[in-house]
Amino acid sequence: MTGSGACQGRPVRLARSVMSQPLSQTEASDEADLLRRYAEGDPPAARLLAARLTPRIFGHAFRVLGNHAEAEDVAQEAMMRLWKAAKDWRSGEARVSTWVYRVTANLCIDRLRKRGAVGLDDIVEPESPEPRPEERLQQNARSDALQAALMRLPDRQRQAVVLRHIDGLANPEIAAILDIGVEAVESLTARGKRALKQALESQRDALGFDDD
Amino acid sequence: MTDKDRIDDTALEALFDDARATAPQVSDALMARIIAHAEAVQPVQAKARGWRGLIASLGGLPALGGLVTATCVGFWLGVAPPAAVPDLAATVLGVDVAAETEMDGYGLSAYGWDLDEG
Repeated sequence: MTGSGACQGRPVRLARSVMSQPLSQTEASDEADLLRRYAEGDPPAARLLAARLTPRIFGHAFRVLGNHAEAEDVAQEAMMRLWKAAKDWRSGEARVSTWVYRVTANLCIDRLRKRGAVGLDDIVEPESPEPRPEERLQQNARSDALQAALMRLPDRQRQAVVLRHIDGLANPEIAAILDIGVEAVESLTARGKRALKQALESQRDALGFDDD
Repeated sequence: MTDKDRIDDTALEALFDDARATAPQVSDALMARIIAHAEAVQPVQAKARGWRGLIASLGGLPALGGLVTATCVGFWLGVAPPAAVPDLAATVLGVDVAAETEMDGYGLSAYGWDLDEG
């Protein structure tokens, strides 16, 4: 597993993802309905909404920040802002998930700016989480190599690539989250993918692509 | 490095697939903190406020409809009771309203006077 130095010292638990598919209109309206119910004092609505949104924004924050603890802080802060905004939420103005993603993306940028420029030499190999079968090791090795390569991208490129190719969002939604045009999103993701390929070429053998 | 050695789109997509399959899992502690925050700032007073709260406390709109209907019927029965309906007060209290009316014919004006005069 590779990534920023901040990944060290705290193994990241890995699990099968249920967060990669884009939201349908039905899911989006469900989230708006859950937020309305929360604002009306319905206790279960908070649990349902948190269970639906937290894995997505935590995963995004982790991929962008490369740090488990910081990703938790960002996810917690983003959800707190959602709860506080629920009372004055105007339905139809924005998708709940898009709004939370946008808050998350901005919080990540804030943290990256505070962190300052990280030299390539500062990016070290994080610990492997735990022993697992050979196939699982290969899969995690690939995932970790990708994470390390992601951390070498400029911040906005990394955000765009993660939102598009890992979170699985559509370009117009990414544009709304990053507050840029759709063409800018396409440009960021294209340049990000090229940079990722270059960063990963040195690890081609280790990634097992020769067998593909 | 030749083109054959390069990471192509297919290989990169495979890496993205693996990343999605091994997404970092949200810890129970984080979820508990988020739920606790949600409950702490949840606007509970919005649960039963104004007319909507009153209607909800009565059981919602269907219950309110039944209540209004029953009230109207009861009021109308009080104003204009059907002839076939017995006088409930007379039945329960054992008072014969018709007998009291007939006693008026004797010209009794007061209890004490009637005793004195025979």
